[in-house]
Amino acid sequence: MKIENKTLNIAGKKTQLTILGEGPPLLYLHSAGGETEPIAFHHKLAEKYTVYLPAHPGFALSEGLDHIDDIHDLAWHYVDLLGELNLENVPVVSYSLGAWTAAEVKLIRPNLIGPMVMIAAAGLHVDGSPMEELFIDSFDKLRELLFFDPSSKQAIDYFPADTNDPRILMWLRAREATARVGWNPYLHDPKLAGHLHRLDSPVQVIWGRHDKLIPLAHGEYYTQHLPNAKLTVLEECGHMVPYEKTDEAAAIALDFLGST
Amino acid sequence: MKFFAFHLMPWDRLPDDFAEKYDTAWTWLPNEIFDPVHGGELYNNYLDQLVLADQLGFDGVCVNEHHQNAYGTMPSPNLMASILARQTKNCKIAVVGNAIPFYDPPTRCAEEFSMIDCISGGRLIAGLVVGGGPEYYSFSKNPTFAREMYREAFDLIIRAWTEPGPFEHYGKHWKLKYVNPWPRPIQQPHPPIWIPGAGSRETIQFVAQRRFAYMGIPYFHMDFFQRNFDMFRDECEKCDYTADPEQLGWLLPIYCAETDEQAWAEYEAHLWYFVKKLLKGLVVFPPGYTSARSIAGIQKGLQQFMSTCETRNDIEAGGYAIVGSPDTVRQKLSERIKKLGVGNLLGLFQLGTLPHDMTCKSMKLFAEKVMPGLREEMNAALTS
Repeated sequence: MKIENKTLNIAGKKTQLTILGEGPPLLYLHSAGGETEPIAFHHKLAEKYTVYLPAHPGFALSEGLDHIDDIHDLAWHYVDLLGELNLENVPVVSYSLGAWTAAEVKLIRPNLIGPMVMIAAAGLHVDGSPMEELFIDSFDKLRELLFFDPSSKQAIDYFPADTNDPRILMWLRAREATARVGWNPYLHDPKLAGHLHRLDSPVQVIWGRHDKLIPLAHGEYYTQHLPNAKLTVLEECGHMVPYEKTDEAAAIALDFLGST
Repeated sequence: MKFFAFHLMPWDRLPDDFAEKYDTAWTWLPNEIFDPVHGGELYNNYLDQLVLADQLGFDGVCVNEHHQNAYGTMPSPNLMASILARQTKNCKIAVVGNAIPFYDPPTRCAEEFSMIDCISGGRLIAGLVVGGGPEYYSFSKNPTFAREMYREAFDLIIRAWTEPGPFEHYGKHWKLKYVNPWPRPIQQPHPPIWIPGAGSRETIQFVAQRRFAYMGIPYFHMDFFQRNFDMFRDECEKCDYTADPEQLGWLLPIYCAETDEQAWAEYEAHLWYFVKKLLKGLVVFPPGYTSARSIAGIQKGLQQFMSTCETRNDIEAGGYAIVGSPDTVRQKLSERIKKLGVGNLLGLFQLGTLPHDMTCKSMKLFAEKVMPGLREEMNAALTS
């Protein structure tokens, strides 16, 4: 498969962009975990689309976190990036932090974003269904928080093994960049819920039944309050949908985008 | 050479099954464990110990700020310092410090410190700190802004003390149209400033450049202090001056009894309560609190942290605490103070579950049999 790595200058911010596959353009916005190198899930999407996979400021080799104070700054960064790529009405597949970001971009520039797939999206505070603490140090506890089966190979391989693991620096950078926009208010924008009725693209919401980080109630809330959304719940699946249900989630996303 | 009595005001009644039941003495430890009536007794005992330090001739007392934890139940050190401003007569009152990113606006710290300075007749030492990692969870303050909030608050407080008000402050984190704090401090241009640090070069450079005093964050191996204090002196030389020993402070637990054996017999259980329970969860680095590279580095430094100790021998070999007869304590301190080149010794006399009477006994022995000779010896050594 064709993979191209680029470094863009987005309003002064050095930005890592990976482009894979062929076909019409599709924007993928990644999660706090920082899946900025193509994973199996991206490859599935790239069978039908040219997938644009940028790294958020502060993730991977992207810089410019100094100019990001909150989720709105991150959303404006993507307004700039889509301008640079000359993309409009582009379909988006987005996951967790990325899905929250996609919703914020759609609100401030509705013409830039087309149909949206929102997987295990952050962004809301739902009374009675609090999000668990993501900013903990123990990888064992994170595995239990994020994966349906914390003893699976994906779960074991996902995190740096210890502080000598070369991935640790990127991991710490990803945590810092996530905290920058998601520490307080915790992984949500208090104003977002009040805007959902204005977010009128077709939306496919995908959620793991056993998501402990962002409970399914958040997916239900999005689906009920977005004007044009449907929800698909995946069984025996935690927060890590693209890893735990790679084929199913990709098939749902591609079916949805093919039908809009 | 100056001698200070430092207090954390710890909680001394953690449950016996604490080790199995709780991951930490911080942030998430249920506050039902805190019994307010016993808490009141503890606060009064602890204040009595610091008043005693003044009566015994210590140069100063130290209080500090921590939140939502059992390690140090002093969320407002300024309350304690204001009581001490009245109840002590001669000693310095060092608040080390106020976690200024949490003071909103930070001019509150300038105001309260000025009050303490006025009430005490100019005896305040002003510590200005970033706040510990766990506190960024307790306050839901974004740790990725910790350093820039600290710098902004720091400069604002110094300006508030030194520049005639009212003036405007339009910073990134605080926007204040009228900065004009009443009262102003007695000590001019402002009270002496102490800044604690855990060895980051950035902090050491900052303190050296501004000619403030650097207090080593405790519970590390002797070698770790040595490295940091040497780095501080180098940074002062780079700024074209030689560091005054009083720009450096060394904080550590001290216990003194009639003989070495008696000291260890009386102290050891209380020390382990501190090491194994109260230190649990202290070292937490929330994202962005310091750079990713520093976090990776500090993780290595933690191999030289007191919580890795398992035996009395580990404690003694690393110099994590000084325990023994007056002769032993004096001899060990003398050797190490000379080596480290510090002009302030900050003794943590009460620690963990150490009862009031034993704390007072140890302080009296120290003040009578260690301090006078050591002071003389060090003054001669440090000025030679």
